[in-house]
Amino acid sequence: MRHTFFGGVYPAVRKESTRRKPLSRLTKPPAQVYIPLTMSADGPSLPAVRPGDRVTVGQVITRPKSGGGGAAAHSSVSGRVSAIEDCPHPWGAPSPAIIIDNDGQNTRWMGRPGSLEQEQITLELLLNRTLEAGIVGMGGGAYPTMDKLRQAAGRVDTLIVNAAECEPYVTADYRLLLERSDQILRGARAIARCLGAKRAILVTEGDKINAAELVERRLRRRSGGVELCTVRTRYPLGAEKQIVQTATRREVPPGGTPIQAACLVLNVATVFAIQEAIFKGQALTHRAVTVSGGAVSRPRNLWVPIGTPLSLLLEEAGGLREENPLILTGGPMMGTVLRDLQAPVVKNTNSLLCLSPWEQKKDTRETVCIRCGKCVETCPMHLAPTFIRRALRRGELDRLPKFHVEDCISCGCCSFICPANIPLVEWMVKARNVVEKGGDVS
Amino acid sequence: MSEGRIPSPPHLGQNATTPALMREVIIALLPALGMAVFFFGPRVLVLTGISVISCVLFETLYRLFTRQPMTIGDLSTCVTGLLLSMCLPPTAPYWAPVLGSAFGIIVVKQLYGGLGKNFINPALGGRMLLATFPILMTAWSQPLDRLPLLGVDAVSAPTPMAYLHEGVLPPHSLEQLFLGYQGGCLGEVSSFMLLLGGGYLILRRVISPRIPVSYLGTVALLALLFPKGDGSPLDWMLAQLLGGGLLLGAFFMAADPVTSPVTPRGQILFGICCGGLTMLLRYHSSYPEGVGWALLVMNCLVWLLDRAGNPRRFGVPPFAVLQNWLFRTRASMAEIKFVKPELHLLPSEGATGVIWRDLLHAYGRPLGSLLGVILVTGAVITGIHQYTDLDTARLEVQVRQELLAQVMPQAATSSETPYQANGALSITAGYSEDNLLVGYCVEVQSYGFGGVITMVVGVDLDGSVTGVSVTDHKESSGVGTLAMTQAFLSRYVGLSGTIRTSGSNAVDAVSGATATSRAITAGVNRALAIMANLDMDGEEFFNDEEGQP
Repeated sequence: MRHTFFGGVYPAVRKESTRRKPLSRLTKPPAQVYIPLTMSADGPSLPAVRPGDRVTVGQVITRPKSGGGGAAAHSSVSGRVSAIEDCPHPWGAPSPAIIIDNDGQNTRWMGRPGSLEQEQITLELLLNRTLEAGIVGMGGGAYPTMDKLRQAAGRVDTLIVNAAECEPYVTADYRLLLERSDQILRGARAIARCLGAKRAILVTEGDKINAAELVERRLRRRSGGVELCTVRTRYPLGAEKQIVQTATRREVPPGGTPIQAACLVLNVATVFAIQEAIFKGQALTHRAVTVSGGAVSRPRNLWVPIGTPLSLLLEEAGGLREENPLILTGGPMMGTVLRDLQAPVVKNTNSLLCLSPWEQKKDTRETVCIRCGKCVETCPMHLAPTFIRRALRRGELDRLPKFHVEDCISCGCCSFICPANIPLVEWMVKARNVVEKGGDVS
Repeated sequence: MSEGRIPSPPHLGQNATTPALMREVIIALLPALGMAVFFFGPRVLVLTGISVISCVLFETLYRLFTRQPMTIGDLSTCVTGLLLSMCLPPTAPYWAPVLGSAFGIIVVKQLYGGLGKNFINPALGGRMLLATFPILMTAWSQPLDRLPLLGVDAVSAPTPMAYLHEGVLPPHSLEQLFLGYQGGCLGEVSSFMLLLGGGYLILRRVISPRIPVSYLGTVALLALLFPKGDGSPLDWMLAQLLGGGLLLGAFFMAADPVTSPVTPRGQILFGICCGGLTMLLRYHSSYPEGVGWALLVMNCLVWLLDRAGNPRRFGVPPFAVLQNWLFRTRASMAEIKFVKPELHLLPSEGATGVIWRDLLHAYGRPLGSLLGVILVTGAVITGIHQYTDLDTARLEVQVRQELLAQVMPQAATSSETPYQANGALSITAGYSEDNLLVGYCVEVQSYGFGGVITMVVGVDLDGSVTGVSVTDHKESSGVGTLAMTQAFLSRYVGLSGTIRTSGSNAVDAVSGATATSRAITAGVNRALAIMANLDMDGEEFFNDEEGQP
């Protein structure tokens, strides 16, 4: 079976600087953590504590809204709630966050559920514990995992564990897979069994990574019930629809989710978090973050409490060695520019990148389109970005629906490959807004 | 961020910008250019230099004139200049690339809005304009015949395409075709270097292999299916692939991003259509080469292929669009009702005069400038046509005079006669300087060793030979041609009656070329017989002097 998907680009991988660095804890624990109320894609949740309350590690401090929306959040340190006020947020505008003063004791919360064995786990338990642990998609989507699992129960035949970190620089998931492979495989088996999925496939990237062999040997020896699928590195392999196409050769229908193709895609960090929740009853309080980029003195992979300010991570990595870097969270292809280093680590923060000028796009002057067609041949969603841009520029809005702009996943392949430096992704986003806000004339 | 504007993702980029792509194309063309310099001499470099410089100059001038920003930095103009010179014959006069680049850059490229907007490849446009000149694009020179920088004779060596057009395999060996030892345009001769350049472009991901591969594949398939000549179909196919400008066209003209479809499916369709059209033109048109015209036609159809090649929507099974379309067509066919068309050819309401005046105002300016452009270009092209037509006529007269001097030295001028005779292709009368009839030149054919030999035999009024000249033959070089030397042919002079090959009234055959010399003797005999029996009774004598009937 050929594992492939259409299109894609080959950006410079640049994972060498952190690939061999194990996940390490912070040498200096944060004095304060900022836990935003908004950490899930479907909106903010409600605070469950008041300033002055004492909290312990793993204690519930926010609850989902009664009508749904938001996910539970837990304190990642023990200490005292000092305030609930607006703080910087890595996703953009400042939003309210619970500020906890760390007492450095790391007292565990007594109210957490007990640990379970593999045989005791049922679908009901899986869903409940995932909800209680406040798990959201940790690969970037931040969509509540419980909803995903509930929709998928009984309707999927394949569980895909997404360990394809196709974004350059980021190695957090890779290190997690390498160091916690047993737990991840156990979690994947349990989830697949509860959902009634016949297969569980772990998709990882093969070539260019020397240490992939090590992962592979480990997985081969201990998997049992989980298949390994190693694919050549190509961006955007990690995108949901592309990973489904790669692993099963099914295409997700337009406007659908992988569940319509009878697949459930979970990030490897999410699987690890679910596993911790169902077997040990632990909530999602820590995650792996890669601090990398040419402007970072000592790039490394860190295992940090959620809510730690990103400036502390940068300090842990030795600080900046160049001035005026471009600071991003998420990968360089789809990540967002960080406006304030005081913003905390949230549940989907997988990396903090400080790109020095030489690593960024060099020539950004936009020139005319020479119709080379590279955007069409690299678009993994079979779109024609140059035609969409032309239609939008000429005001031919009635032609936009014919180009299926709403399928765009904003992966940025078209902007990346364009020899004329046209910011095609921006145009695609614009076109999608037009179509979704009633530009749909035909 | 200090600069104020937050950069949008992706924050990484790749270095293949437009000038970089154009630079790669120039690099890929250099080996073929080097081979052309090796085969045709330094004149090639001068032609290329003139072409590139005039392209850059015209673009700069046009941009300055219309006050648009300079665009020569993107190097596309240099590629155009290089490509234009690559598809000129090595004997082309120096004004040819200047005219070609003026048309290509100003009319084809800049009038449509510059790089990215032109729908015909500028180099191809310039070259096809030059192809309308009668002798310019048919005078090929022999390879390794290094041309002087100034004063090139218009020699005509047959190119492989000329042979293929006749339906025979060219005499060149495959290695010769491959390395470039053949007549042809500058850039197209060396297939090896073109493949090298094309492969480089594909490996560097400057062009995708879809267009060249589908183009060459279609041509190869059609050549295999419909072979001609006596060799194997494989030989025929290879000769078709390597012989003419196909490789240059497929890798550098068809795959030009601006004038080819954007969508992958459209690109494959484009290649297939180009291949089919090229073979159609090569087999059934009066030109030996069809690549240029095929590309020109397909360039104009790119918009259609782009629509046809719109990618399949992700997640929709293949052919779903086709099924949907068929369903809708059937549904709408059932709905068709005839509606009488309402035509408004003339404005009928309001004050007629005012409407006409407004219409004239609205259309007058654009139509006027369009008319101006058409008039100026027409005048330039007509002028150059006139000039070169005279050239053609002069050349023809010169050839005729040379032939006459060889065949009938006594005569000063010649003129066509209306006589018809079995076996004679044409009969020309020769006149002395006093305008007296000296004799007739008869063009006859006979079968030699390798095929038909065409010759012109001069016969004076007494029925004796005044000279013989072979105009066309297929005898083997170095053997059969021994019987065609000036010395051998002059032995016929003064003979009459029936010439034998031995004994009295005979011309001895040249040893080693017996068959050829016999054939020439037979031809001379035929000419003598024709002249002896020429029936002039039905002839009307015209007197050119005025006043007399």
